[in-house]
Amino acid sequence: MPAFSYEHSPYPVRQDLQQVYRDYWRMLSRPGNWWSGAERVAIANEVRQATRCEYCSHRKQALSPYNCPGQHTHAGELDELTVDAVHRIITDQARITQAWVDALEQAGMPPEKYVELLGIAVTVFSIDEFNRGLGLTPEPLPQAQSGEPDHYRPAQAVKGTGFVPMLPTDGATGKEADLWGQHSANVLRALSLVPDAVRGWFMVSAGQYLDMAGMMKFSGDHGRAINRMQMELVAGRVSAINECFY
Amino acid sequence: MLSLSADMTNTDVNLQMINGDSSATAGGLEYAHELMVFAESLARRDETALTTARDALASRAGSAVLVDAAAVAGNFQRMVRIADAAGIPLDERNMIATIDIRQQLGLERFGSAANSRSTTLTDRIKAVFMTPLMKFVMRRMDRKANTGNP
Repeated sequence: MPAFSYEHSPYPVRQDLQQVYRDYWRMLSRPGNWWSGAERVAIANEVRQATRCEYCSHRKQALSPYNCPGQHTHAGELDELTVDAVHRIITDQARITQAWVDALEQAGMPPEKYVELLGIAVTVFSIDEFNRGLGLTPEPLPQAQSGEPDHYRPAQAVKGTGFVPMLPTDGATGKEADLWGQHSANVLRALSLVPDAVRGWFMVSAGQYLDMAGMMKFSGDHGRAINRMQMELVAGRVSAINECFY
Repeated sequence: MLSLSADMTNTDVNLQMINGDSSATAGGLEYAHELMVFAESLARRDETALTTARDALASRAGSAVLVDAAAVAGNFQRMVRIADAAGIPLDERNMIATIDIRQQLGLERFGSAANSRSTTLTDRIKAVFMTPLMKFVMRRMDRKANTGNP
């Protein structure tokens, strides 16, 4: 049975959505720019540990998440720094600061590795959350493929917006020309230090929500069972619970 | 985006449903209450409430609506984490275009507002002129997306 077949789901799942999830799983299993395939799959596995980590629940209630000693519940496949990064992104992202991202770099995780990890963690989480929404267990993770990361970094990435370097608004050029057109937004640029991380979430987003062209269409038919206003109600309520200002 | 799409379709929508106000779901948006409760129980990770909300949405609106709502909810569980973990500020054009909405919803209360600059008097003055212009541009984009004609 192929991944994401949803044969046992009481609710029929669109074929295009099944396909983008399968495509993302394939992408996840391959070596990335800064992590090996095995490490990428281990990061995905750690996302699932984070959602049931007692220390994360305790830290979420603490006044400061940076002065709260304790140990994460983890799968034992990644070092402490990486485990903490994944858990913090999943369970307490609203309190991530520039100082913490800088400290990660000083401790041995450069922004390139952080951005790729962030892309994996949040994209896997979004797929798991879809399953949880339907009352289904998470899909088994893919088998990691062998090979080494290629350490590709787009030359045009610069610091100045947010916590990590990004392509400038007019920086979707050369190998990155496919990322966006003439106009961009900070959220599209956020992971562009690792362009494949952007490509991964764009692909999944097109299935779960809308593709770029669809986002520019505020009325009419989007080929979904809910209209744009209903989509934005769900989007807005989820964002508000997560205390997201953006 | 909810405000914008409601504006484009001349639909009466009370934005306070974003903040979880049940009475705000009484307007013209179909299944608004069920969608709001489903989204919040998923994001709060309240499994008992989620089971109830899932059943209510599926029985009232059907499986296809539930599946697409779960997909959008999953999508935004990702997007909020990208925005906050990368520390991106609100885009300059949105700083001006969303002043009223940010105020109505009290979004400045969120800690991640610190990643964006504060609203200035100049922003407020610009908003008076720019907001109608931006709506006009968005309408043209919407028309183009729907008909292929600007």
